[in-house]
Amino acid sequence: MAVAAARSLRISQVGLRGVVGGGLTAAHVLDFASAFGTFLEPGKAVIIGRDPRASGVMIREGVVAALLACGRDVIDLGIAPTPVIQHAIRRMDAAGAISIGASHNGAEWNALKFFGRNGIYLSTAEANELLDIYHLKKFSFVEWNQLGKLRTEANALDPYLDEVAAVFDFSALRKFRVVVDCCSGTSALVLRRINERFGLGIILINEKMQGVAFAHEPATNKEMVALQLAPLMKPLGADAGFLFDADSDRVAFATEDGTAVSEEMVLPLLADYLLPRGAGKLVITNCSTTALVDEIAARHAGEVVRVAVGRQAAIDALSIYRPEQIALAGEGTGAIMMPQFRFVYDGIAAMLAVLSMMRERGEKLSGILAAYPKYSILKGQVPLVTHRIPALLAALRELYHDGRASMVDGLRVDWPDRWFHVRVSQTEPVVRIICEQRGEAPRDLYEALVEHVRSHA
Amino acid sequence: MPRREHLLKIGVSGIRGVVGEFLTPALACSFAQAFGTYVGGGRVVLGRDTRASGEMITHAVACGLLAAGCEVVKVGILPTPTIQIYVAATHAQGGMAVTASHNPPEYNALKLFNAQGLFFNNYERAELLDLYHQSDFRQATNEEMRRVITDYDSAPKLHFQKVLAHVDAARIRARKFRVALDAVNGAGAVTTPGFLRDMLGCELEAIAIDPTQPFPREAEPKAETLGEIAELVRSCHRDIGFAQDPDGDRLAVIDETGFVLDNDDVLALAVDAALGRLPGDVVVNLTTSLAIDDVARAHGRRVYRTPVGEANVVETMQAVNAVIGGEGANGGIIFPPVHLCRDSYTGMAFLLDRMAETGEKISTLAARLPKYFRRYGKVAFEHGLLGPLMQSLEARFPNAEKDRSDGLKLLLPDAWIHVRASNTEPLLRVAAEAKSDEQVERLYREVLGLFG
Repeated sequence: MAVAAARSLRISQVGLRGVVGGGLTAAHVLDFASAFGTFLEPGKAVIIGRDPRASGVMIREGVVAALLACGRDVIDLGIAPTPVIQHAIRRMDAAGAISIGASHNGAEWNALKFFGRNGIYLSTAEANELLDIYHLKKFSFVEWNQLGKLRTEANALDPYLDEVAAVFDFSALRKFRVVVDCCSGTSALVLRRINERFGLGIILINEKMQGVAFAHEPATNKEMVALQLAPLMKPLGADAGFLFDADSDRVAFATEDGTAVSEEMVLPLLADYLLPRGAGKLVITNCSTTALVDEIAARHAGEVVRVAVGRQAAIDALSIYRPEQIALAGEGTGAIMMPQFRFVYDGIAAMLAVLSMMRERGEKLSGILAAYPKYSILKGQVPLVTHRIPALLAALRELYHDGRASMVDGLRVDWPDRWFHVRVSQTEPVVRIICEQRGEAPRDLYEALVEHVRSHA
Repeated sequence: MPRREHLLKIGVSGIRGVVGEFLTPALACSFAQAFGTYVGGGRVVLGRDTRASGEMITHAVACGLLAAGCEVVKVGILPTPTIQIYVAATHAQGGMAVTASHNPPEYNALKLFNAQGLFFNNYERAELLDLYHQSDFRQATNEEMRRVITDYDSAPKLHFQKVLAHVDAARIRARKFRVALDAVNGAGAVTTPGFLRDMLGCELEAIAIDPTQPFPREAEPKAETLGEIAELVRSCHRDIGFAQDPDGDRLAVIDETGFVLDNDDVLALAVDAALGRLPGDVVVNLTTSLAIDDVARAHGRRVYRTPVGEANVVETMQAVNAVIGGEGANGGIIFPPVHLCRDSYTGMAFLLDRMAETGEKISTLAARLPKYFRRYGKVAFEHGLLGPLMQSLEARFPNAEKDRSDGLKLLLPDAWIHVRASNTEPLLRVAAEAKSDEQVERLYREVLGLFG
């Protein structure tokens, strides 16, 4: 059976994402943006913004045309971080927004992210409706004299920072020496403004925004932190280092001693900071995220809700609870949402939360992390043979019947000190295998799993 | 059965339709991407007229051009001839004007230009259409993606310098002509007042020069729709009045008495001026007046005729190296030394120059032209209507010379009849010309009678 060797286009509930030219074309952009203009409740404007990818210029033109044709006024924020775009929706009373950018993917990718009038991603039901409109291609184009108008909004940053400043005490953070790897992305815009406006001295590297040649892959993971950021920590005498993806919704970090920290640690760290601070006791995360977060939640009488991997499951889970029940939500990828920011994946806010935690604890970042028990995680992948997945999962469940099984997303099996998760990737044609153990790495379990998955391939 | 309305036309003339249900941003985008692919990437100039859908369509077109790997130069709201001249002068790979020209405001369309700022020839346009239908577009990757740049100012300067090089501007300025202008709130609203006032020293009285407002009259500048400017010419004692279409390629002229001149006569005046100045022949379409032949004969020049459509006229002009051409009834003057395109600015400058040169009133100049009488009409298009009509016409006038290159044209002594299907609208167009009003009326009635 023919399977695309490398998927270069993905149209799903998450929106539209692809390699520009190779998979994602102008025609997709026009149709998807027209579907969004048709989907939204009539009347109000739509906000757009983009990351610095060169193809963003082309996609912007198409998005503007489609929205105007649907009778929507368009407010263009230009190159702007995704959290800033989301923030502008409520502030400007817009119907929704489109963020043009492929966040942590390479420069050759681009994507459309859709947000509703509450400023967050569409729910699965809404996203399904949008997809149906897209596939049906019956769009609500208005008459020639009812078309929308385009205007630009020069300063969306300051209103966003007003809200951030109401949550975090910037003046108290001035004492830290902070280094940030902007990876040629939009975070530089916000951080420069924070320096100007609040008198911080955040040192930026790779701060020049690039359309084609990013300083390095814009993924927020340990390898990328180790590349340029971590080696600078000691020479610069920095207290903390942060790395952002291209549209600033994810973050990873390095400690003052030059250690690149696993991206898995952002969520447990912030759970430890936020759980004791507010009424919210729930941590929403996915089945592939470290069990350290369960241990930390237990310390603070919190509870972890695990959902399927991917943004959509997290968004749907959020809608089940009242905001005040939730302490935070996030993934092991460095994407974190906090109730104070209306559940927007916001790397900038996550960075400020880490710094605030350091200040309140009066501890070094490495010291805070050292207090956590050691967990060791192993990750791998095996090429996908789609039709054998159900048999594979059933066989694994049978084999590991002594653990507690969850079928929320593929198969996750938990034992008191270790767990594994076998699932089909949403972005690549592979089966992902993750297992983790308190203490040393569960190498035997991992190898046995890989063997089983391979035997079904 | 009620007639279905197809308010979209995609063909060798490009893409044209009513914006909304018919002409969608996706269609405009893919057509632009086909164009970008056809010209092979590179720099493409993009401008528009003032119609309400112009902004939306321009964004869709920019998207398609960028997706094909083109660099886009946005020149904003400008007359079509200005855009064409800019394309040629800046060595772009091609150009696109978002305009439905003289069509009503609910329409929009794309005019496509090659690297010389000229319409593509028939064969090239068929090639482009195939490319569009095959959808095998050039798909630029992120690395191949080029940028959008803007240049709103230099194009009009280029255009007007070229026009002024072919008239005696000092002579015109010295006369301080009292001129009225109706720019239909179109692209001319942006540049024509400056052209007449600052370049040609006219004392200007202008209406409909707000590009943000809708067209205040029918977009096509013809006698029935130019009451307001004609009245302005009379009440403000103007020497002459000019009316443009929304994209500034067509021109109508009002004499000092408030009479809207026949477009064929305006062309004849321009032809006379050009032939008096430069060597070369004349090209006009089949529906253009015999007055052109008389004027050319007086200069010892030849007249070539082509099917209706600017692109057809231009194609032949280029092939025979003509010095001037145009489409009489459509109000278009094409003067290659400025550019091989229909240009209302060349028309305005030529007429003012002629008035300055001779010291005559425009009505006097027009009155000296050979006198012909013309009738134009249209009938709703129906499938199967044109063929039988052509046959009965041929049977009715067995001795006439026949030209079947665009519908049917019958040449009679000092008269002609032309029936054809419109390229842009679902209409059959009927035209007739003769030496007397009675004769033209009789010929016209006879054609209409054949519709049964």
